[in-house]
Amino acid sequence: MSLFEPFHLPFMARALVELVILGVLAGTVGVLVLLRRLAFVSDTLTHTVFPGVVIGYLMAGQDGVFWGALAAGVLTAVLLTVLAHRRRVSEDAALAMVLTSLFAVGVVLVSRRTAFTSDLTQFLFGRILTVTQEQLVQTAVVTVLVAGLLAVLRRQLMLRTFDPEGAAASGIRVGLLDLVMNVAVALVVVAAVQAVGTILVIALLIVPAAAARALSDRLVLIVPLACLIGALGGWLGLAASYEASVYHGLRLASGGTVVLVLVVLYGVATLAGAVRRRVGLGRARLSTPELEMTR
Amino acid sequence: MTQQQDRTAALVLEKASVAYGHVPVLEELHGTVRSGEAVALIGPNGAGKSTLIKAVLGLVPTVRGRIEVLGVTPAQARRDVAYVPQADTLDPDFPVSVEQVVMMGRYRKIGWLRRPSATDRTLAAEALERVGLSDRAKNRFGTLSGGQRQRVLLARAIAAQPRLLLLDEPFNGVDAVSQHALLEAIALLKQQGAAVVVSTHDLAIAHLACDEVCLLNRHQFGFGPTDAILTPERLRATYGGHALELRGDRVIVTQT
Repeated sequence: MSLFEPFHLPFMARALVELVILGVLAGTVGVLVLLRRLAFVSDTLTHTVFPGVVIGYLMAGQDGVFWGALAAGVLTAVLLTVLAHRRRVSEDAALAMVLTSLFAVGVVLVSRRTAFTSDLTQFLFGRILTVTQEQLVQTAVVTVLVAGLLAVLRRQLMLRTFDPEGAAASGIRVGLLDLVMNVAVALVVVAAVQAVGTILVIALLIVPAAAARALSDRLVLIVPLACLIGALGGWLGLAASYEASVYHGLRLASGGTVVLVLVVLYGVATLAGAVRRRVGLGRARLSTPELEMTR
Repeated sequence: MTQQQDRTAALVLEKASVAYGHVPVLEELHGTVRSGEAVALIGPNGAGKSTLIKAVLGLVPTVRGRIEVLGVTPAQARRDVAYVPQADTLDPDFPVSVEQVVMMGRYRKIGWLRRPSATDRTLAAEALERVGLSDRAKNRFGTLSGGQRQRVLLARAIAAQPRLLLLDEPFNGVDAVSQHALLEAIALLKQQGAAVVVSTHDLAIAHLACDEVCLLNRHQFGFGPTDAILTPERLRATYGGHALELRGDRVIVTQT
């Protein structure tokens, strides 16, 4: 399999750049999603961003997609933060109903169009191979913004994630911080929606972070590892889908292939992590026998 | 009360009532904790011990009366107040080392962006030394035993150099070695002039470590010197029949 040749084509090169940037963005935010156990929030966002995408598209064509997604994403982030702080997210039946309704609104709106199936596929699974220069710039800007925000807030976020009560006790405004965090997740979904669609973005957020967590116990390593794995998954997935489509007559959807590659990487990371822990444990047992007792 | 005593009051409760929304949790609390003193909050589960601690942190509103911390409102005093949560409420899988947890105690003084200075590192290392866990600095927090984790959280509070220390059930499920280490560290903090508020089920610990006791169950059933307050009558009143008397002067609480 050729890992470099496909990217001489301009559209493949753009797709690669987009996925590498997204990998870094989703990797960074994904670590927080994983540690805060916010997978549910991310899932919610993918459901509510979808009608935003559709409405944006119907109103302003392809250019409207980003802004429609952004409006829906930020609105959802605010709503989720308020709900969580009123301790009402546990009423998940009601929430599930709202989510599916919003999703259905999207589907109904799309179904009125003649190119129904192709439009639906595009919104759900993205079109990585038709990424434009402008989209690349959008993704890059979002990435810089979010990465900067998280860098500035890193200590508050860490304390809040580890010990919410302790964070509040030391004067951190937890509600505000949670809003920022939810908006960051929304921005990842928005940035990724055109490239990989609303469904697959969850994988981009969760899988690299989980793989990185399996490899290390140290946050300073986990974040860059998650970025690396996210970017690597994008690269290998694109190369694999190109190889299969061009040389083997097997049409593999790029977005789906990227996700599958990420899952394989996760498997490898989990194995490597298990081996590392076993080795580490053996070493610990040799040097300090009482270590085991305190576990 | 003389002017001198007034100045050293670290925590003043003045007919304070505390509520979550419209639901009153604690009513009519009255008492003073002075610098260098420790008070034990004693009462059954759901009595409002944790709520009182949160009210002192300014996280739950005082609806009537007044809570004064270090001469100002609870929210204004946070910088000089340290809070030690129960270790088992924290995620043991969280990827953070023992020394990182202790350094969190310095965050407010470092500021959110600057790097920890040499002083911050020294204070964090000394705090960890005080709870006897210097050798575990590089270990992941979650790999320690429950008692050791509780000691690390106390070290985090010590590193913050508080004038008022609040501990929520620090002795729950803690082994004897860790209990001893916690008690020693708390005693030293008292000596250095900090006021300590500690909620506990353990009457023996209240006797050992605390000068005063506050008996709580929605209302205050007594606030004052440990020996004067921990009487069979008062305990029976606080625990509502779940307290049994042994040999006239000792009390066993059958349901906490």
